Amino acid sequence: MIEHDLLERCRAGNRDAQRELYDQTSAPIYRLLLKMTASPDDAFDLAQETYLKAFTQLGRFDGRSSLATWLYRVAVNEALQFLRRAKQTRVKLQELAAEDCAASENGRTTARLDVNNALAMLPPNDRAMLLLRYQEGLNYRSIAATIGCAEGTVASRLNRARERLRNLLQNSYEWEGSDSPMHPKDRC
Amino acid sequence: MNCEQAQENLGPYVDGELAPDACTALEVHLEDCDTCRAELATVRKLASDLAPQVDTLVPENLWTAIEQRLDEAGEATPPTARRPRWRVGRAPYALAAAVVFAVGLSLVGLVWTGSSAHASTVDFSVLLNGLPLDANQAFGKFLALYDAREGSLADARQYAPDLSFDIPDLLPGGFHLQAIYLLRFGKLEGVAAAYDRDGEFLGAVFHRPVAKEHFGQHKDYPCVVGKHDGHKVSVGAWRLVHLTDPTTCHCVLSRLDERTELPDVMAAVAPALPEGTGRHGH
Repeated sequence: MIEHDLLERCRAGNRDAQRELYDQTSAPIYRLLLKMTASPDDAFDLAQETYLKAFTQLGRFDGRSSLATWLYRVAVNEALQFLRRAKQTRVKLQELAAEDCAASENGRTTARLDVNNALAMLPPNDRAMLLLRYQEGLNYRSIAATIGCAEGTVASRLNRARERLRNLLQNSYEWEGSDSPMHPKDRC
Repeated sequence: MNCEQAQENLGPYVDGELAPDACTALEVHLEDCDTCRAELATVRKLASDLAPQVDTLVPENLWTAIEQRLDEAGEATPPTARRPRWRVGRAPYALAAAVVFAVGLSLVGLVWTGSSAHASTVDFSVLLNGLPLDANQAFGKFLALYDAREGSLADARQYAPDLSFDIPDLLPGGFHLQAIYLLRFGKLEGVAAAYDRDGEFLGAVFHRPVAKEHFGQHKDYPCVVGKHDGHKVSVGAWRLVHLTDPTTCHCVLSRLDERTELPDVMAAVAPALPEGTGRHGH
């Protein structure tokens, strides 16, 4: 929990307080940006912008969500804006997926796409939803506040993102109960 | 509850977000449905696989970079002593720095009144550091560092005859020319231009390749733009892309994609760039 006093000192531009807030929050913010961009350099740049924006716009934080959720929102917005412009993660991941596919002995291609690669191939909004829920552990209310959507739509959005992820993984996942026709394996 | 309803609820169930009565109904359904139980296992496995497996280390220099930019942001309006030496006609010193920095305003009649002693370097760090806050202003600060004065394309060609560049009124993609600037990087002449596309800024800087470039804490990477090798520095969505020929380094600051829009823009400002060139020799 980020203390009210710390927030006020940050608002006043106190550098020690800003550092303290950064120390408390930078690990999850950077981790989220790293997974969103699949690039340490881009995550580094976006983390800078996230905190610059946060420190200069703290006056706009109205306290309706937690400060951590608000920071996530700033970071997610930065990442989505960046990805919309750059569209580079898709390219990177296509390259990565290509590297992860090796020709098998009979000439067919065997996919070895792992969940991280598949995650980064998702549309950025889906990726953000899944990361906020399963990596960062946010509840649906906080996800709604972070993404800026109605709380009632979070479940369906997560279902859709999960389904898209499953489709990407479908050919490579080591499903338990692999005899099930719903979960084919070893297909590429 | 049928299978379709059950499977819609599996996510919220695994996430602990399903209402108690819906949980009970789902659990009753799961007792008798192998398909939905398999689906539940899948949802749980996805959730487990998406959970962080290892701690992510935050780069040690991240705070230093943030702090440096906070310091610079605090100096967003430079003190009077650091303002460029501009005059408008005979009204000396009357032009506010904010106006000087506002690329796009017509600054006709500006007279360059002096120069500072700079080594033959091109330090882009002030430009790169200011991008997240205001690209126009950051470009203005960069221009001010190098005693920029506004001129026409003919002035620029006469001022820097050894540089190869073009500054069309309209760039591919719909960027309109706002102003052309004549700069001095130490003993070397330079030229810059500012463009606008519905509020989206694009800047171009041309300098001799012998002038050493600095990017502060930002990293410089090789890149390919169209058929040319170059290098770039990225700050968020901004890209400072450089393509160099034997006489000129063409630097374009924009948010354009290197694979789609940027090649045409680079070709427009660097029409003489031979194919395959562009690696920097600094």
